Amino acid sequence: MTALLQIKDLTVRFPGVTAVRDLALELHRDEVLAVVGESGSGKSVTALAVLGLLPRTAAVSGSIVLDGQELLGLDEERLRRVRGARIALVFQEPSTALNPVERVGWQIGEVLRAHGTASRRERRERAAELLAQVGIPPERARDYPHQFSGGQKQRIVLALALAADPDVLIADEPTTALDVTVQAEILALLRELQRDRELAVLLITHNMGVVADLADRVAVMRSGRVLETQDVHRIFAAPSTPYARRLLASVPQLGVQDPPALDVPASAPKSPPAFAVTDLVVDYPGHPAALDRVTLSVAPGEVLGIVGESGSGKSTLGRVATGRLRPSSGTARLFGTDLAPLRRSDLRALRRRVGVVHQDPAASLDPRRTVLESITEPLDIHRVGTPAERVARAEELLDQVALTRDHGARLPRELSGGQRQRVALARALVLEPALLLADEPTSALDVSVQATVLELFAELQRRHGFACLFISHDLAVVDQVADRVAVLRSGRLLELGPADQVLTRPTSDYTLELLESVPLPDPEAQRARRAAGRLKTSA
Amino acid sequence: MTLYVLRRLPSLALVLLVSSILIFAVLRLVPGDPAESLAGADATPEAVEAIRRELGLDRPWAAQYLAWLGAMPTFDLGRSYLIGGTIDSLVADALGNTLLLATSALLLAVLTALVLGTLWAGTRRAWLDHLLTGVNTLAIGVPTFVMGVALILLFGVIVPVLPSGGVPREGLLANPSITFQYLLMPAVCLALPVGAVLTRYVAESLRTELAQPYIVTALAAGVSRWRVLLRHALRNVLPTSLTVLGLQTGALLGGAVLVEFTFSWPGLGLLFERAITGRDYPVVQVLLMLSVAVFAILQLLTDVAHAALDPRVRLGGAR
Amino acid sequence: MSAPELGTSEPLGDAEPDQGPRVRRGALLRGRGLAGLSLVGVVVLAGLLAPLIAPYSPQEQLPDANLLGASAGHLFGTDEVNRDVFSRVLHGIRADLLVCLIAVPCGAVLGGLLGLVASQYGPADVAAQRAFDIVLAFPPIILGIGIAAVTGVGMLPVICVVIGAELPLFGRLVRTATLKVRELPYVDAAESMGATRAWVLRKHVVPNILDAVIVQLALSASMAVFISSAMNFIGIGVRPPSPSLGGVLADAMAQLGTNDMYAIGPLLVIVMLVLGFQLIAQALLAERRHGGDAS
Repeated sequence: MTALLQIKDLTVRFPGVTAVRDLALELHRDEVLAVVGESGSGKSVTALAVLGLLPRTAAVSGSIVLDGQELLGLDEERLRRVRGARIALVFQEPSTALNPVERVGWQIGEVLRAHGTASRRERRERAAELLAQVGIPPERARDYPHQFSGGQKQRIVLALALAADPDVLIADEPTTALDVTVQAEILALLRELQRDRELAVLLITHNMGVVADLADRVAVMRSGRVLETQDVHRIFAAPSTPYARRLLASVPQLGVQDPPALDVPASAPKSPPAFAVTDLVVDYPGHPAALDRVTLSVAPGEVLGIVGESGSGKSTLGRVATGRLRPSSGTARLFGTDLAPLRRSDLRALRRRVGVVHQDPAASLDPRRTVLESITEPLDIHRVGTPAERVARAEELLDQVALTRDHGARLPRELSGGQRQRVALARALVLEPALLLADEPTSALDVSVQATVLELFAELQRRHGFACLFISHDLAVVDQVADRVAVLRSGRLLELGPADQVLTRPTSDYTLELLESVPLPDPEAQRARRAAGRLKTSA
Repeated sequence: MTLYVLRRLPSLALVLLVSSILIFAVLRLVPGDPAESLAGADATPEAVEAIRRELGLDRPWAAQYLAWLGAMPTFDLGRSYLIGGTIDSLVADALGNTLLLATSALLLAVLTALVLGTLWAGTRRAWLDHLLTGVNTLAIGVPTFVMGVALILLFGVIVPVLPSGGVPREGLLANPSITFQYLLMPAVCLALPVGAVLTRYVAESLRTELAQPYIVTALAAGVSRWRVLLRHALRNVLPTSLTVLGLQTGALLGGAVLVEFTFSWPGLGLLFERAITGRDYPVVQVLLMLSVAVFAILQLLTDVAHAALDPRVRLGGAR
Repeated sequence: MSAPELGTSEPLGDAEPDQGPRVRRGALLRGRGLAGLSLVGVVVLAGLLAPLIAPYSPQEQLPDANLLGASAGHLFGTDEVNRDVFSRVLHGIRADLLVCLIAVPCGAVLGGLLGLVASQYGPADVAAQRAFDIVLAFPPIILGIGIAAVTGVGMLPVICVVIGAELPLFGRLVRTATLKVRELPYVDAAESMGATRAWVLRKHVVPNILDAVIVQLALSASMAVFISSAMNFIGIGVRPPSPSLGGVLADAMAQLGTNDMYAIGPLLVIVMLVLGFQLIAQALLAERRHGGDAS
């Protein structure tokens, strides 16, 4: 069967960088082709190139043929008619993909109007129909995007994309910004839509679980090239290129980890927990009951994983631990000291024993200071030792995070995301903290980079013996690093126990739901789940 | 929507009340006795006293203030010290002239901003970008009155094609084409700073808007580029542009004073200037109050217009 | 995913984090920055050296020198009471410069302090924001008239108006920057690890807003010259016979047609100052955003 969409020798050059090199891809009717790669691999640029939506600064060459028609070099009006009516595009951020000041029904109507539906009444009716197809009550066509949740917005985006009945759907990271349970629903919806309309889907993603769930074939991209293209079962079982093998090996898998050796700390059993909360309630403006009577503790030297979806309160818990938020009621103790009545100066002394690593590598370091200066900052704040001693200590830590002195002299913008997170780790550990707060420390990193940072984290934890509050939405990551796990939902603690127990034999229904929503990077297992009816439906 | 407007009214009233007290009080602090200045240098003490009683200057401040406040709704604003005549007739005469000037300038500014701003945001030609940046910088950089003098010099004196000031003798409504000649330079002068700021704002916010993901969504779905530019992007830029315009009306008010002075255009601005240099305090008082009132109402109007155009403000939905 | 080209590819807003101090200074040495600096520099120098380089005293009335046109001896001609316009303009520059020198730094410091206070205390912040918005929108000229009504005309109302117009500008700048910087993850990390507010201010906030403050200073200088010359122009500022740029320009208007240079002289000088400061500000701003794109 000839391919519906055939891309050959596609090269896209921007001033200073070649994003895509001699790319070749084939997409057939009624199939899902997943394009996998890390950031900078050129996946999104390819998607834009197909639709002719690259900026003027891009130089494009090669061939993109849709059903026999060459798209590259086509004039604007003909291209416009292809967009939406033959090829549609859906991408990552549902909150910004829709026009914030227009009703959603009208926005879908705009697509219909662009492709010939002149009558307003017809457009209204059709828009309502489309919304119903994606699980949105048609009366809500009169509402504005901000009145919908993230998952609902993504459904609306899908309805908009499919409004003009295209044959090809390009989905660029369609579920990355969504909570795990919502992601599962959207994946199911995508499946259904693809099946019903016999769509050819080009699914761009870095999430191997999503690939295993949806794809028929997989293409692996790196630095603008396609390295290998395989049937989905074969690529998971036996990838042929070393890069693909490494990529698959980096993916953290649930339930496959050995429980980390629970080095029962040799410390006296009487030493107070690093952090403990009892019946903690936190309200703040706009968020009543951000935490609702939570009781848990982190023993010295223990890694406690906190999992939950957005709005669960996990980050709020982290802010209480560092004293940035005061409890509204209940107690919070840091190293045994009650946080509520503390004066700023006493709090400062306590904070000296805490280290913090944040999620966003782009903003975790002061852009105006060198790496070394950022690492010495905590030492400067607490006036530890002489300046020369501080530099020596900082360099020690640079070594521990596998960076060189040379890196020390650089500015953050000269480092990669993974390197920046290592610097953040070094800075967090420079004062030998007894507690490390890690709030989604690897969520913004590529899979392979994430794997190395997590390894580093585990090594450092073993070496320094700090306690850790590890916050993440990624169950597999938590499984890899945590000793015990706490599951939060809407501010409430639903479950608490040893990691391997909570994540394989959970007692709470919600935890079970979470676990089942995470797509496994194993196509056979996913199909088995689906067959057994354990996966979510799109409703 | 009406609820939104009604909620803003109490604070508007408060602002007006407070300003009236401030203006009234502040002018009472002025050194010198107005009764004496009115009476003249060689008036008898009795004459001065008579004037004082006539103007009510012998009563306590609070009573004077209330009397003044009470007189306002009936437009009985008192008499001018200097120019002669009742203040309300002075203001009425000048008001029409200023309105004509201000509305022409406003229209000019808005039209230019929309057209040039859109062009500027949409152009891919570097030379056009540079040209517009240069013109815009000049328009913002050259002060209104300086531009006025320069224009008079150029088109009134050196190449005399336009009258260098004043208004047509037969009045503004007699002959539109003659009125146009008198109106052209002052209106352009007044429009320039506001127009320049607004143009730049429209261009910049349009460009930012065009970088938003929803624009790609629309284009990717096949909506034509022109429609996306005008109906989607420009339309979204209007609410905040309106706010900027509202903020710029202050500049328009101030500019009116300068432009009317430069071109001897007999409007409120010229009246204001003559009153202050001549120490005609009743007039100054009334005009200050008027300025504040107009200013406050304009702010309210722009807020309302903004809410009308941006549903997020109205429905109070935060994303 | 960037939008397809519907405009130039110039990113707006702070697309790139601050490029840092290394690239800032170069802005004033080329392109717009240099032009602005030269314009301002020439005028400032002329004003400072006025007593030395002015051929006549500004009040000196010369016999048989009524409304002469421009010549070698009188670069801008003479006025209706036989004074040399060029000398008056040179001395007039000093009046406007004085306002700039006094009012702009005062307004900046006061405004900055207000902004700092506002950023620390919630309720003060709301009140300050509202106040800033109102003062910013209110026309300075009318404010000037109001103040002149109380204090009488002269340099004082001009200085008051300029300070008043600056307060909200610097206040808002400092307040917004302080709040924004405190929300940044690396500042949050520092605070979580024990940094005091003073530390954060000193080490993180100040360096980050320094550039913005410098740009605002240039813009405010431009505005100060504008307001000062405008108020002098309509007669509520510096009292004649003391020369001021705006004042001389106002006097010149009556003599258009007889001695044009009388008007063109002060006109040019005002433009040089106002435009010059604007160009400096623009060059610094462009440098900050694109780290090297000065045109």
